[in-house]
Amino acid sequence: MAVERLFKDEATEEKGERARMASFVGAMAIADLVKTTLGPKGMDKILQSTGRGHSVTVTNDGATILKSLHIDNPAAKVLIDISKVQDDEVGDGTTSVVVLAGELLREAEKLVGSKIHPMTVISGYRMAAECARSALLDRVMDNKDDADKFRLDLMRIAMTTLSSKILSQDKEHFAKLAVDAVMRLKGSTNLESIQIIKKAGGSLKDSFLDEGFILDKKIGLGQPKRIENANILVANTAMDTDKVKIYGARVRVDSMSKVAQIEGAEKEKMREKVQKIIGHGINCFVNRQLIYNFPEELFADAGILAIEHADFDGIERLALVTGGEIASTFDNPESVKLGHCKLIEEIMIGEDRLIHFSGVEMGQACTIVLRGASFHVLDEAERSLHDALCVLSQTVNDSRVLLGGGWPEMVMAKAVDELARKTPGKKSHAIEAFSRALLAIPTTIADNAGLDSAELIAQLRAEHHKEESNAGIDVITGSVGDMAELGISEAFKVKQAVLLSATEAAEMILRVDEIITCAPRRREDRM
Amino acid sequence: MAAMAAPAPRSSKTESYMDNKRKDDIRMANIKSARSVADAVRTSLGPKGMDKMISTASGEVIITNDGATILNKMEVLQPAAKMLVELSKSQDVVAGDGTTTVVVIAGALLKQCQTLLHAGIHPTVVSDSLHKASVKAIDILTAMAVPVELSDRESLVKSASTSLNSKVVSQYSTLLAPLAVDSVLSVVDPAKPDLVDLRDVKIVKKLGGTVDDTELVKGLVFDKKVSHAAGGPTRIENAKIAVIQFQISPPKTDIEQSIVVSDYTQMDRILKEERTYILGMIKKIKATGCNVLLIQKSILRDAVTDLSLHYLAKAKILVIKDVERDDIEFITKTLNCLPIANIEHFRAEKLGYADMVEEVSLGDGKIVRITGIKDMGRTTTVLVRGSNMLVLDEAERSLHDALCVVRCLVNKKFLIAGGGAPEIELSRQLGAWSKVLQGMESYCVRSFAEALEVIPYTLAENAGLNPIAIVTELRNRHAQGEINAGINVRKGQITNILEENVVQPLLVSTSAITLATECVRMILKIDDIVTVR
Repeated sequence: MAVERLFKDEATEEKGERARMASFVGAMAIADLVKTTLGPKGMDKILQSTGRGHSVTVTNDGATILKSLHIDNPAAKVLIDISKVQDDEVGDGTTSVVVLAGELLREAEKLVGSKIHPMTVISGYRMAAECARSALLDRVMDNKDDADKFRLDLMRIAMTTLSSKILSQDKEHFAKLAVDAVMRLKGSTNLESIQIIKKAGGSLKDSFLDEGFILDKKIGLGQPKRIENANILVANTAMDTDKVKIYGARVRVDSMSKVAQIEGAEKEKMREKVQKIIGHGINCFVNRQLIYNFPEELFADAGILAIEHADFDGIERLALVTGGEIASTFDNPESVKLGHCKLIEEIMIGEDRLIHFSGVEMGQACTIVLRGASFHVLDEAERSLHDALCVLSQTVNDSRVLLGGGWPEMVMAKAVDELARKTPGKKSHAIEAFSRALLAIPTTIADNAGLDSAELIAQLRAEHHKEESNAGIDVITGSVGDMAELGISEAFKVKQAVLLSATEAAEMILRVDEIITCAPRRREDRM
Repeated sequence: MAAMAAPAPRSSKTESYMDNKRKDDIRMANIKSARSVADAVRTSLGPKGMDKMISTASGEVIITNDGATILNKMEVLQPAAKMLVELSKSQDVVAGDGTTTVVVIAGALLKQCQTLLHAGIHPTVVSDSLHKASVKAIDILTAMAVPVELSDRESLVKSASTSLNSKVVSQYSTLLAPLAVDSVLSVVDPAKPDLVDLRDVKIVKKLGGTVDDTELVKGLVFDKKVSHAAGGPTRIENAKIAVIQFQISPPKTDIEQSIVVSDYTQMDRILKEERTYILGMIKKIKATGCNVLLIQKSILRDAVTDLSLHYLAKAKILVIKDVERDDIEFITKTLNCLPIANIEHFRAEKLGYADMVEEVSLGDGKIVRITGIKDMGRTTTVLVRGSNMLVLDEAERSLHDALCVVRCLVNKKFLIAGGGAPEIELSRQLGAWSKVLQGMESYCVRSFAEALEVIPYTLAENAGLNPIAIVTELRNRHAQGEINAGINVRKGQITNILEENVVQPLLVSTSAITLATECVRMILKIDDIVTVR
């Protein structure tokens, strides 16, 4: 061969059929891994970290599982990426998207095996996806104008999302929490103002929504524990001493009394700083950095509530919800925007004391306090609740709603099947394959619930042959049920994102005909 | 561990078969390892339970009967086993007692689940039924409970002594139980009668003496010596106490500084200046009438120097140094005073008052005791004594459990019988309930009911009784309507346990059942272990 060594040592190249096989296998393996977590009776996974402490996470959230995997297969990485994007965009359906993409590839593998060109498959998939989307659009419900019905929709969506998670037993309670929290946002998708605090102890049912803001910090010694009509200054400033920040700066003196004077001067500077802060007309001071004993006492003397060492997240949120700005200089009191709230008090949750700000300026803000038996439960509960909140906030903006329980997939499959019959040429095989892949989602839900999936899917298909059917899988009784009656709903936006990104990912992987693994960079190469 | 192997890509043809096999294996492996954890602590259950000796990696030896402590020190690696350890910790947080019980129940439930899974019941069905059964169990327990008033000191003492009876220090339960009750009751804030912050009860351990010498101190105790340099006072009546957060030592600036000395006369002057500087501070302190000084530990510079100690001793001020910053809040709360961070702020109104501050010799060391505090805050100090470190630590843990029991009663004012009575009653009622249910659920609830019998069974077994004879008799008595019949371990027979004063807070039993169920359900739902970064 003329070009014997195109690549560096250790770089590998896989071509044509082999490359495609490698990506198919990798993607399918990933899909199979998360497949069992799908649906209300999906199972959980233990994630065991190989790092220090061998910490253990128990989760049902597809995105979390995939995010933490060790993956070497490039195609598998693509799937992980779409799951991440799904998580960022809509928050839920992270497992569905991977499962669907996996199934699309599985079908594509068969088609390619029977000598259909990948490009034909791709164009078939594209047509099918477009058709499936319009089929969904035809059947969406929109209750935006009817506030009560819309709320009911939100509740149903939240419950459907939560039913596959650890919170399923108390899903009504949590659905209510999530809906209340999202309704407070009044259409903004900024979940920042919903704060989730986790406190071990108690049971999940003891979790509650609190209007206002809770800071997991302590009030300084000897300071008031309760303040009404608080003016809050949120700051990020050093409260030990303002040091001369030039390297090597030092003071040279020739007697002890001068050292004492300098120390006194430092103290005096601090006192001035505190006076300036007090001069803002505040009665609550929150600092990101430590407040040392001396200024703490000064604040206590002035009857000001000072909170030290509020972490970065904490002060940014506090500044946001109280409508203040984070200040770091205090020379111009008029230019600093203070935060306000009606009441600051110390409350006890479980065994811990927390500071509660109620009646804050930004009405949207609220805090959800999660209680649970152990940290595993709490972490998983937070992830689940986060999913629900994301979906809900998206739904508030795009209020189109679908039924759940495999219903959308059946509707899409039916439409795609019809398209396949109308389409001449090899493409129709690909379109048919697409519909089979769609059916994989209800199949997996049924399988995970330990039901006879083949029987159920056949029944469902028969039901859906009738016009305007609402049939879906009722996992609880293990039969075909009316989804509208059971109150199982999903957000249109989630389904659409699942459909489109799964198709895109499958398309991308199908196009691959060569994998080049670059040689790992060596340290010596830098020389 | 086979379970830890990374998930290899599987071929698509045989996938469904292989998958299920693997999942079953993982579930069984999880159940098995979790059960072995439960078996490890099983023998320490009950008043005649045995203790475990744990020698840690650092060579330290711990002897304990406390489930949470044993599990905590075991350093298990298997993830499912770890969950059981977490479970015991959660029970410790929620109720403080019953940390062994909760693990034993979880182990028994897992054993039953194994049978159910073998029978081909889907794990989620088992899990849902367990949840239903546990909700029902809580209802039954609540119905059995007897309300208790906080003024009813005797009942509180009874439940505290039930908790203490299973510990090494059981022979001292007559002393420790009332002590625990008194200390908790004295920190209850009348404004918030349902909340107790156990951080308001400070436990000070001091080696020497026996557990008998343990006492409740109305005031403060420091496990520290009064600083003795230059013969300062060790006993002061009518003390005026200041808690200071500044240092009585030569000045130090935050900016790096150096004093340049060019000749020896200057040196003399500097030494003299240092003296006058410190003397000035001490004079200011003395001027307020302060005669006891608690000095916070400082990491930046010496809190006190020999020189300042000397002057303080001259001024007849008793000094306790190296007080931790974390303790300052407790101290100021107790003494009803304010910490002072600068000499300029040293004013009389920031001082605390006490009738007596004195140094007492105890065993091989000395402690400082502050008593007769004026306007004392709602705190208490318990001074625990013991003949060796192991006993001392175990006494502290037992006392903590007892305090938690009393706290539970303050939170939820209900008592329930001990000695296996509630468990056997639950088992009976749930068994009856399962007969009304239909399908798989009925089967699972029955298993739940059977699993609960493990508690009386283990109690009897640990006490050296014939467990089968005892449990069957217990069942019999309960069937005849004696819902409070339980195992009297001391007499080795079945009696009305409520009359024997063996009682425990309702919260301990209910949280043990809910937490154990929650944990088991979590283990059941896991079908894969994935190793991650």
